[in-house]
Amino acid sequence: MTADAPGALDLGKLFAARLHAARVRPYLATALFALRLVESREVPTMGVDRYWRCYVSPAFVDRTPLEELAAVWVHEVAHLLRDHHGRGDRVARERGLHGPAERLRMNIAADCEINDDVYGDGLVCPEDAVTPGKLGLPPGELMEDYLRQFRLGPGLERLAWLDCGSGADGLERAWELGPDGAHGLSEQERDAVRFRVAQGIKGVPGSAPRGWRRWAEEVFHPPQPWRQLLGSALRSVVSAPGVGEDYRYGRPARRSAGLPEVVLPSLRRSPPRVCVVVDTSGSVSDTELGSALLEVAAICRALGGRRDLVSVLSCDAAARTVQPLCRTEGVELVGGGGTDLRTGFARALRRRPDVVVVLTDGQTPWPEARPPCRTVVGLFARSGGSYDENDPAYRPETPPTWARVVTIGPAPA
Amino acid sequence: MTAYAPQLAVADSLLDLLRVTTTEPRADTQLEALTLAVAADLPVLLWGEPGIGKTAALTQLAAALDLPLTTVIASVHEPSDFSGLPVVGDDPAVQGVPMAPPDWAVRIVRDGRGLLFLDELSTAPPAVQAALLRLVLERRIGSLRLPAGVRIVAAANPRSSAADGWELSPPLANRFVHLQWTHDHDVVVRGLGGTWPRAALPRLDPERLPEAVAFARRAVCEFLVARPGLVHRLPQGESRRGGAWPSPRSWEATVRLIAFTTAAGASRDVLSLLVRGTVGDGPGLELLASLDRMDLPDPESLLADPAGAVLPERGDLRQAALDAVVAAVRTRPERARWDAAWALLVRAMETGAPDVVVVPATTLASLRREGWDVPAAVERLSGVVSLSRRADEAARRGARSAGARR
Repeated sequence: MTADAPGALDLGKLFAARLHAARVRPYLATALFALRLVESREVPTMGVDRYWRCYVSPAFVDRTPLEELAAVWVHEVAHLLRDHHGRGDRVARERGLHGPAERLRMNIAADCEINDDVYGDGLVCPEDAVTPGKLGLPPGELMEDYLRQFRLGPGLERLAWLDCGSGADGLERAWELGPDGAHGLSEQERDAVRFRVAQGIKGVPGSAPRGWRRWAEEVFHPPQPWRQLLGSALRSVVSAPGVGEDYRYGRPARRSAGLPEVVLPSLRRSPPRVCVVVDTSGSVSDTELGSALLEVAAICRALGGRRDLVSVLSCDAAARTVQPLCRTEGVELVGGGGTDLRTGFARALRRRPDVVVVLTDGQTPWPEARPPCRTVVGLFARSGGSYDENDPAYRPETPPTWARVVTIGPAPA
Repeated sequence: MTAYAPQLAVADSLLDLLRVTTTEPRADTQLEALTLAVAADLPVLLWGEPGIGKTAALTQLAAALDLPLTTVIASVHEPSDFSGLPVVGDDPAVQGVPMAPPDWAVRIVRDGRGLLFLDELSTAPPAVQAALLRLVLERRIGSLRLPAGVRIVAAANPRSSAADGWELSPPLANRFVHLQWTHDHDVVVRGLGGTWPRAALPRLDPERLPEAVAFARRAVCEFLVARPGLVHRLPQGESRRGGAWPSPRSWEATVRLIAFTTAAGASRDVLSLLVRGTVGDGPGLELLASLDRMDLPDPESLLADPAGAVLPERGDLRQAALDAVVAAVRTRPERARWDAAWALLVRAMETGAPDVVVVPATTLASLRREGWDVPAAVERLSGVVSLSRRADEAARRGARSAGARR
């Protein structure tokens, strides 16, 4: 188990380091043990490929303390779990980034995404780990965001040796075994490992840092941009049977002329009445409201609804003015202070709408009974504040189940 | 007039030249999955951006299965085209009003077999979708019944790219196997250069049919016994609407698909696409994880013959197998079983990475009863003990340096 010949790989040290890593990060144990070790003299330090093989340089193992090796194990497996190779390829295609220099930049950006919260708590931070702080960037962002914020320059020359393999940036290396090599993991096996790690993190969310929890939530369900979700929610309630256009037997169809004996339904449209209730309490910012309202207006227009049938109602503790959405812009929103959406609903229902759209941050009482029309809630995401650290039993009031809820947050890149 | 005719002839020969392409064999997971689902007689729904070759794939599939292809664009039809047009006869009170089917349906029924391709499903209005529900579920168009030899495939654009798309209602979504259709950059570039891929389609092995059925039933039943909450779960949350979700109906489809992939000897990747497309990502991945556990060697047979035991190669699976052995010893603690488990751990250490053995060894040691002597085999685990000690030291050093920094 120990190095007998000079230059041989010290497997004992490497496995002890992996054991240490699995002990301090139990939720990553599955992924750590799934890695396949390959000894390589060409890799500068340690690197992974997209088939979950881990290439290790014997010299690197010899000169690195065991604690740091454990940190490197966790770092390399994080590249794979977070799909940096797939995301790297996608970014390269979308933004037209080619060549080894750009891939090195991707590797650095991916390292920044991992390193800002992976160390500590039993794992030492290697001396030369790239952190967002060292590049003068804010922590807690994604590889794609970091990639926009720095360039390779004089300050970064010392990073040019940095190489985590194709698992970190998607560029195949000369020493890698490639797709046909032995002991790679197939796509399904990779998904299964990532799924089990995510389940483990979701099972005991308290023990994992924030970055890992976010990853576990999103790994198999990446968040969709809220504009699309709000649009499709609105479209589907506005066009559901009984609201928008549908087939009626009220008037003969145009096809009837060709088929005299046949009774055909015809497509008829009754433009839907949409009432938008806007929460103008102090807790919702004007920019958020502005962008959401513009979106609703645009969708209603695209649906062919007549603009005078879309009305906007601002609501804080009391429901204020109702305005038809006749102008492209300039809907006046008044309010501030607390919210009570019950009055907003009552006021909106007086106009007998087909659909009520509510834009709110959800910090409000909701009506007890289901209103006699379809409801879409655009909910402004509030991170932090919604859960009370001191009182685990505290839950904020959530929108009722009869409403379709779309969470409106910052648009993902 | 005559001056143009030779020009058009030249144009025709140019077009002929452009049509000349060759094919090369290439493994294609999504085409394999599509073929198996169609062979299993389950309706398939292909989700994909417009213009990425869904129709081309269907043409290839129809040629491979030797079925005539009928394409119907759902969004340009009226509900009565699928439910039948009412034709008023001489005496409706006596004869009733027959629901006349459209011509393509009559042709398919006359042929008795075929591939029915319903394109642009998600852009069809709700009333048309409701009529399609009957076609897909009951296989009826008006008064006609589709013969058993007809297979149904539909295509839809994802919500993000269909600007005016309606989403699929949950009952309709539940009847389909949802396959995400993506294009492979290399395939497209090579294809435009004149060489398209030719996929080897999976063949069902007649010898393996009973075994495949038994395996599929066992896989799904064992899983659902352990996870009763997943038998029926309507899609929650805005982003998962219109997709696959678990219900008794889709689990039945899953049994069928597992049996077909097993009989065809298809890869897990193909099965993964199919299962996740039938019951959704979360339940599908959980089922696949449980299949992986079924592949693990049975702890009792490992204990019965520790010397001849074959342990999985991959570290995480190996640890899962060893954990299962230790758990089996815990449920029925007997001296002989305890010794056998130690022998297994020694074997695991000698054939693979030693760090995997540490946790099972610690747990097994804690199961020791009064009067049980430490077996001689444990001596050979000294490598594991020193490994564990080194990791402990590292942990202590890490804690000390963290303390010093603070």
